[in-house]
Amino acid sequence: MPLLDRPLVVAAVLAYLAISMAIGVWSLRRTKSSRDFWIAGQGLGVVVTGIATMAAAFSGFVFVGGPGLTYRIGLSSLFINVSIGFTAALLGWALAKRLRLLAEVRDVYTVPDAILCRYRSRTASGAAAVAVLIGSVGYLGAQLLALGTVLAAALGLENWGLAVLLGTAVLLFYSTAGGMVAGIWTDVFQGALMLLGAVGVFLYAMKAGGGLSEITRSISQSESFGRQFLEPFGSTPVLTPLCFFFVFGIGVLGQPHMLHKFFMLKDPRRLKWLPLVLGGSQIVCLLIWLGLGLAVPALVAQGKMPPLQNPDDAAPLFLLNFTPELLAGLAVAAILSAIMSTADSFTNLGAAALVRDLPKALGRTVEKELLWGRIATVGVTMAAAVTAYLYDDLIALLGTFSFGTFGAALAPALAVGLNWKRVTAKAATASIVTGTAVNLVLEFLGRQTYFPSLPKPPLPPGVLPTAVSLAASFAVLLLVTWWTREETLDEDVEAVMEA
Amino acid sequence: MVHRPALALLVLAALASLLGSCLGSPWFAALGGVIFPVALMALGAARGGKLGPLRLPIVLTGLVLLGVFAALLALPEGGPDTGPLPLGTLLLLFVLIPVPFLVLSWAYAATFDSWFLRDEDLDGIRRQRRQRRQRRQRRWRERGD
Repeated sequence: MPLLDRPLVVAAVLAYLAISMAIGVWSLRRTKSSRDFWIAGQGLGVVVTGIATMAAAFSGFVFVGGPGLTYRIGLSSLFINVSIGFTAALLGWALAKRLRLLAEVRDVYTVPDAILCRYRSRTASGAAAVAVLIGSVGYLGAQLLALGTVLAAALGLENWGLAVLLGTAVLLFYSTAGGMVAGIWTDVFQGALMLLGAVGVFLYAMKAGGGLSEITRSISQSESFGRQFLEPFGSTPVLTPLCFFFVFGIGVLGQPHMLHKFFMLKDPRRLKWLPLVLGGSQIVCLLIWLGLGLAVPALVAQGKMPPLQNPDDAAPLFLLNFTPELLAGLAVAAILSAIMSTADSFTNLGAAALVRDLPKALGRTVEKELLWGRIATVGVTMAAAVTAYLYDDLIALLGTFSFGTFGAALAPALAVGLNWKRVTAKAATASIVTGTAVNLVLEFLGRQTYFPSLPKPPLPPGVLPTAVSLAASFAVLLLVTWWTREETLDEDVEAVMEA
Repeated sequence: MVHRPALALLVLAALASLLGSCLGSPWFAALGGVIFPVALMALGAARGGKLGPLRLPIVLTGLVLLGVFAALLALPEGGPDTGPLPLGTLLLLFVLIPVPFLVLSWAYAATFDSWFLRDEDLDGIRRQRRQRRQRRQRRWRERGD
């Protein structure tokens, strides 16, 4: 679509990019130490933390990948999100308090830092840093894919690579300049846009499809979709949605981009309202997945929209062709927000893994951590751009793999290890290594086409490799804990675990 | 002291999830998916091996999850149409998301100050931090001497 046909959309996109950069400039003056760069000076309130956590958690994966995945497999894709009914409370009880209290007694800036404090093991912390680095590059790659898709559609760019380059340049500018200070305040700005955009788009999607009854009737009667599309398990094998539920419901306990925000909270007592703020805002944002996931197939079934060549185009095509220009502008800005708020978390986490966590695991410290942090941010983003370029499947699937890598590697060592003193450093290391390695090997075997002689993973149809690696990681943690001798904990860490 | 029933549930959940994903059994996979969050919430929320006022909301959430997943697996083709959507999809959207959210968010906030993080806990933690800093400063001074 020619650029000048949608001047308000273009203006909204440019305004959004400009505001994000302005926040970067503003944050640059407030980023004086590595503590500011990595954890925003530990001075945030619960609403800011909750909205920033939501914005980091809900990414291009939800706003672009979700409607795309629903277009392909039907409403069974919702199993990815239905766990948001309990995940905020689960995070609160299992991790938020302990992580925040750890940051109260020690200089804990990252998840590998927390693992180092809890287990006194550089091996466990180093393994966690490797998992964070791998997952960050994959997750950031998924965001860049989504960024290219949305910017190319919104600005009418033929060249997808140019769209990625433009978005990446803005992202790099504010995240290298302002670190987590910029990350948090852009997250809050972006989170507010996401909430507004999600409600607006949901209402308009229902209207465009003729109301919920008409939408479901069109889908049920269409040959391309049929009633199966609306059924909870849809056309996928039953195990796929069940694996989605397990991976996203439990894997959330290993997501460093969410856990990282708890270190930044000023007063641990504010955690009282975390489930309400985080869970409530996630439920509102889910409306965009549901709205577009139902409206786009209905419009295709009604003949008002051509069948999609690439399911990931569902969100941008609907917004640009079926919504008033003002709402389209707001929604495109909201989608860009979702993407970039997650992306900035991962540039920061990946850089922290390279500059802080891995050297620490090797018994070294990096001088001029702030400078090297900024340089590493660029390096991680470049690696993610290469991953995005080489990847050729749905955004949601790359997101699922990365989410699964974090979950399988980190959830057991953190969620069980911070609540049960008996868990040993060897058990944590074995669990982190198992989760990372099993996930990578199964995913590689499932996707690779370079070596025809290698077998496919021996998994039943519909089972996600990430579900197997997550279950295996928990099982290994429990088994090795019982096999190894109990260890003593540092007095302050013990106090945190008993609080 | 750890909450032993939560640990037992955790072992059960890990076994069910492994069996579910490796053998391809939906019932085991669903059981693992439901028990895991309940076990981990109980593990994190317990104090001195007890769940106190949180027992009821956590058990209730477990029962809701168990009931919805049993219904989803038992209903053929998502069940009959109830309004615009199949019954199973309605359960997914209007029970599985809002009921645990309301029950757990309320329980979390209502018991936070009296059960989950008391003022004396925070005072103890801050005392630990002060003592640790003092020890570190003493060590530095000794090295300096």
